[in-house]
Amino acid sequence: MVSPYGVGLSRLHAGMLAGQCCLEPVSELYPGFQGTVAAVGSLPLLHDGHHYSRSDRLAMVAARDAVGEIADSYPTFHESGIVMASTVAGLTEIDPEIAQGPAAWYRHGGLSRAASYSVSRVSASVGEHLGIQGPACAVSVACASGALAIALAANMLLDEAAPMVLAGGSDALCPFTLSGFNSLQALDRDPCRPFDQDRKGLNLGEGAAVLVLETLAHATQRGARVLAVLRGWAMTNDASHPTAPQKDGIELAACIHRAMEMAECSIDEIGYVNAHGTGTPLNDIAETHAYERAFHGRSQPIPVSSTKSYFGHCLGAAGALEAAITITSVRTGSLFPTLRLNNPIESSKIDWLHGEVRRQPLPVAMSVSAGFGGSNVALVFGSHSA
Amino acid sequence: MKPTSPVLTGIGSVTPYGPLAGLISTGPLEPSAITAWTTPGLRRAFLVEAFRPASIVPGLKTRRLDRLSAWALVASSLALRDAGIDLAKMDRSRIAVFFATGFGCVELTEAFFQSAATHGWAETDPIIFPETLSNAPASHVALFHDLHGPNVTISSQGFAAESALLQASSLLRHGQADLAIVLAGDTLTQAIYEWYEAAHLLSPPCFSKEQLPSAGGFIPSEGVVAMVLEPTGRQESRPYAALGAGRWAVGGDARTGVRQLLGDATPTFTICTGNGGPCASRHTTCSARDLVGEDATIYPSQPVATGIGDASALLHLLLALSRRPGAGDALLLATSVDGGFAALRLELF
Repeated sequence: MVSPYGVGLSRLHAGMLAGQCCLEPVSELYPGFQGTVAAVGSLPLLHDGHHYSRSDRLAMVAARDAVGEIADSYPTFHESGIVMASTVAGLTEIDPEIAQGPAAWYRHGGLSRAASYSVSRVSASVGEHLGIQGPACAVSVACASGALAIALAANMLLDEAAPMVLAGGSDALCPFTLSGFNSLQALDRDPCRPFDQDRKGLNLGEGAAVLVLETLAHATQRGARVLAVLRGWAMTNDASHPTAPQKDGIELAACIHRAMEMAECSIDEIGYVNAHGTGTPLNDIAETHAYERAFHGRSQPIPVSSTKSYFGHCLGAAGALEAAITITSVRTGSLFPTLRLNNPIESSKIDWLHGEVRRQPLPVAMSVSAGFGGSNVALVFGSHSA
Repeated sequence: MKPTSPVLTGIGSVTPYGPLAGLISTGPLEPSAITAWTTPGLRRAFLVEAFRPASIVPGLKTRRLDRLSAWALVASSLALRDAGIDLAKMDRSRIAVFFATGFGCVELTEAFFQSAATHGWAETDPIIFPETLSNAPASHVALFHDLHGPNVTISSQGFAAESALLQASSLLRHGQADLAIVLAGDTLTQAIYEWYEAAHLLSPPCFSKEQLPSAGGFIPSEGVVAMVLEPTGRQESRPYAALGAGRWAVGGDARTGVRQLLGDATPTFTICTGNGGPCASRHTTCSARDLVGEDATIYPSQPVATGIGDASALLHLLLALSRRPGAGDALLLATSVDGGFAALRLELF
């Protein structure tokens, strides 16, 4: 994993446990921009001889961190599959001048940079970096991309398409997306406040997370340390508006139900939801309605938090980063609160986590993602013993 | 094929052959001269002629969409029509959309860059930005047809369409959807064409009508092909084909991979989606003859207009079905210079 906390899950975990917020005011990302983002510091150098975009490099570093020594020691590792998500991909490498004369832009050094434009390059870069030659693809479903990559990777395991699949997402900060969200007036200039009644918008972040998925039988056979079990997954689409979420959250709730159905767990068994929680007025209210609908009849309010309040919205990487955080919560029993949640949206059915880190046994938890275009993804993770 | 094999029941396309439901009856095309932007001389490609989407799909509004999204809407509508699907009778929460693309919504991405170049990043166009996202076409398909199932946009270097077919089939097999619309396509823009040219990937006929296409390179194309997949037994009419097992890998040893897929079987037909011909979509050489044997019948036997980048396999499949090779086992096959391959077994009806 690569996050604004640095390389590795342990750094992110330690930072979040300490309540450290990585969001910082910046103004140099492009002339006229003033806002708050969470950036990754220096990335390790990669001497591959190719031109890689920043999203590619984030993905490569995260994948190397995820696989550890099995890349060199496990005999069939090169047959692994890869499903990587990205929305930005190589957009970081393209200058606006390309639109005013592509041929001239290519002549002046743009040719090799343009080669990293396609979103498929993110998964290809991971494969090249780790010597993986199995089935590889990249998915791009806006902010739900990272979670969807994990769901598709799980399907690939069901199909025995590969002995293990690396799944995750990667996205870098870039003027294109900052400008786009700014034009939509979706950004909060200050650190975001997901699920707060006074929320004003989101902050962008960057990072990458990669999960190594394999069947339990395969993991047991090779003596792997099982971090968690992906018990259920589901994908739905709002089909209601190109950008705005469905106000009543019906399809997101349906997605949650389907994931629980696959996981064969009840609404009372889900101990925590790591929410999409962007901090935009529209998303957070729609998501609130979805949780109220999905967990209706639960004996206790459902604990929910948004960890985007720590390091912003990492777009295509967000779902994968948040899946990793959810797994950490299951493993350690640490439920991270939403930062700056002082005046939560009123709901008797939701236990908004704020203040201190909550400690409790957590056999089963859910990570929820949603995105432009109406895509919803829900992932249910359980402890190995659950 | 197993009883659970997904079957291909409907085809719709917007390609240089025009907007069509079902198979393509016309013969090979000639590339046409590019007029959409100023070129330094004659530049040719297989282009989609402008048409009014509402004349094909009544009520369809595409004024704010780029061509890729508009074509996806038309192609998906034609495919559903061809399959005889009445969506009113279907559970729309169980209909999935898969969209394979190499470059995504490049037209509006270029427009957004243009807006930044002209006015600065601080003054870009909020209407354009959401439409630059690669999943915009698939989202519009879901929105237009009111489809609430999984909505996936996928890209895979060289094998995007094959990957989408396999992932959609997987969803149907595992009961995660009842029907899937699989689309694949790209648009050709000035920035893409000039990138191909700068990288010396274009075939001589791109520059001259007199040049023969046998001198290497490829002729770019554009368009979207949509196919309806349903589980066996659900369809109401005779399908075009049943989809069997498939495999894909981005590197390694294609021969071993294809052999593992085929076992002892020898397909009657091999539909090669990257035949190395100058009009093929990829500049890699597909060694189909080497992989499936000297006696195999390989389609296409002649270069065809199929260059829609990584997402071209659906058009290759459509063209092969349109040539009506007859019933029998088939193999959809693409290979790459890295030893990568995508192979999918089919039963043609």
